Amino acid sequence: MAPANGRLSAVLGHLNSSASASSGRARLLEKNPDDIVITFAGRTALTKAKKGGLKDTNIDDLLIALLTEVRERSNLDPNLVEDVCLANVLSEAQGYMARSSVLAAGFPVTTAASVVNRFCSSGLLAVQQIANQIIAGSIDVGIAIGAESMSTNPDNGTSTPLSTKITEHPIGSQMTQPMGQTSENVAGQFSISREAQDAFAAKSYQKAEAAQKAGWFADEIIPITVQVKDPKTGKVETRVVDQDDGIRYGTTAESLGKIRAAFPQWKPSFTTGGNASQLTDGAAAILLMKRSRALELGQPIVGKFAGATVVGLEPRIMGIGPTYAIPKMLGKAGLDIKDVDVIEINEAFGSMGVYCVNKLGLDPAKVNPRGGAIAFGHPLGCTGARQVVTALSELRRRNERIAVTSMCVGLGMGMAGIFVSEH
Amino acid sequence: MLEFKTTGFNGYAVKYSPFFDNKIAVAASANFGLVGNGRLYILRLTPHGIQAEKWFDTQDSVYDTAWSEGHENQIVAGCGDGSVKLYDIALNEFPVQSYEEHNREVYAVHWNLVAKDTFASSSWDGTIKIWSPMRTASILTLPTHSCTYSTAFSPHSPSIISSVTSDSHLRVFDLRTPASARNHLVNLIPIHGQPPSSNNHGPFSPPSEALTHDWNKYRNTIIATAGVDQIIRTFDLRNPQGGPVALLRGHDYAVRRVAWSPHLSDVLISASYDMTCRVWTDGTAIGQNAHLGNTALGAGGRELGRMGHHTEFATGVDWCLFGSEGWCASTAWDERVLVWDVRSFMMG
Repeated sequence: MAPANGRLSAVLGHLNSSASASSGRARLLEKNPDDIVITFAGRTALTKAKKGGLKDTNIDDLLIALLTEVRERSNLDPNLVEDVCLANVLSEAQGYMARSSVLAAGFPVTTAASVVNRFCSSGLLAVQQIANQIIAGSIDVGIAIGAESMSTNPDNGTSTPLSTKITEHPIGSQMTQPMGQTSENVAGQFSISREAQDAFAAKSYQKAEAAQKAGWFADEIIPITVQVKDPKTGKVETRVVDQDDGIRYGTTAESLGKIRAAFPQWKPSFTTGGNASQLTDGAAAILLMKRSRALELGQPIVGKFAGATVVGLEPRIMGIGPTYAIPKMLGKAGLDIKDVDVIEINEAFGSMGVYCVNKLGLDPAKVNPRGGAIAFGHPLGCTGARQVVTALSELRRRNERIAVTSMCVGLGMGMAGIFVSEH
Repeated sequence: MLEFKTTGFNGYAVKYSPFFDNKIAVAASANFGLVGNGRLYILRLTPHGIQAEKWFDTQDSVYDTAWSEGHENQIVAGCGDGSVKLYDIALNEFPVQSYEEHNREVYAVHWNLVAKDTFASSSWDGTIKIWSPMRTASILTLPTHSCTYSTAFSPHSPSIISSVTSDSHLRVFDLRTPASARNHLVNLIPIHGQPPSSNNHGPFSPPSEALTHDWNKYRNTIIATAGVDQIIRTFDLRNPQGGPVALLRGHDYAVRRVAWSPHLSDVLISASYDMTCRVWTDGTAIGQNAHLGNTALGAGGRELGRMGHHTEFATGVDWCLFGSEGWCASTAWDERVLVWDVRSFMMG
């Protein structure tokens, strides 16, 4: 026996307590063979619905364009991809679109496809779905892709008539409240002023402007080639889309303050087109596998998926979902909010953004450092995956490690996930 | 406060003799127990301070010691080379028996308090072994499959023995159960677990190495555990899946030793890498803390006082069984044994 080293490490183990404040962080940064790692993450540019570069790109063409890029850029034998999970909210016939687009993007007939939809959290749910399949041993390699074409798939809410058991249910009936109304509910119930919302929104624009001018989004965006129809001449041309187009430069709280209320019918009517998320087209994709598999295949590990969770709350104030989801997720990981380097919270509305930052006591410098959905848009199914791409890119740029992504979810839910950059 | 210097040897454990109120054994090791010799001190409290009656040197570190409950001159030591050595303090230099079965460091030894004819050892090799001074080989081996820092017989039954391990579990074995694949294991309690009633939004306790535990001397189903996560917990074996009854927070580093008072059913003492020894109540004293509501829930658990005179990791502490309640001895890596009265360190 040569015990001295073993004894020393035992004592060190006693001292490097996993219970001290930052221990969860240390544990999270450990690298284990069965970690679920991300070997490729990228997104398309996000462009304005009905106006931007992706306005004439249907969901299938959007999927094919991005999946083709993932297949080519990942340097992974496409035969190894066993499943693709599509996060999408609005498209009809999603299941058909998912499977057929995967095949058309050059994946072999053996690559399966499925669809998930939990509204604004779908993109994160798709990541969790693929990760869970890998953890359970169902598959070894999979792709999560979030995509939304809000130009071609309008959000009509639910068209089927509702059961009276829902419409007469005190909470279930709240599902009929449009998202704009829930934003006003949050502003009203928690006294979020118009000024605070406009300031939050202006900050989002300013951060996004700075990020775009500094070229930070180039690290996230995969240019795709699409067909665009000129609205005046009707001529169809082929164009490369590689820039977010929703970011209005020079936006200030004052300029946003001049915009009229979007929902005068609901008090306090503080939500405007300027302090709410934009309607946008876009897609984002994440390639996942176990660390052991990535090392076998020589795939570059860009980050680690460290778990996700979901909560439910009253649909009436769905915007505050992150204030439940984030603490729950941190609790599961044994993390303190101070351990987190970047926090991506989807900016569905200025009202919920302000509330979440204040309620959780977040450091504003860590929250959406490149701006958010108010500045460059919220393609519903894409957002959850887009936030992962943005968070990993920002962690890389800052040389930091841990990101939490979270979003409020329509009908009263919140989701949160933890990702670790391994740049 | 009385003091004894274990010069050149860093303390690991201290135990009062169950027969003499003036006799203390100290397990100590050179070079912080990392490499080198060990020494088992037999100290005597005299009107002129603490004096070394004798000591036994060993090839490797000594990590723990336990006095025989049946013979006033017998004492065992758990050693770094995996041996368990039985000494007769009327003799000099050599053990009367050296049991060499463990493959790794023996971190705990404990004498059977009821039958008094057996003792147990636990080791980093993932086993607990039960021995008799009358025999040269172990009687029984209980596997834990995990580095076993602490083992103890129940003070209420000769057949019940427990352990805590680096896998963050408290195990209870009942030797009366038939031999089977369970190896007499009757309870496997996750120390980090939460009460089933708590929602999952509560504070999260990750598993962490458990280093020490002790049976309550009055309530036969209560065990206190502690370890790397700095929290002392009490468990009630009547509700093994119920999670901890009391959580005592305060130590700033891992807790190396806990010991329930032989005099008071709610009081325990602890020694920690944070260099302090602390006295706690688990909040169950009858008639006390009534204002805190249901005392059965241990809601009134709190620190009563602390002794901060050690200048290195405090590793061992034990209560004196005799005389007025409150006297105890502690040892630490500062090469000192301190004998002190906890009543002079009470807060408020």
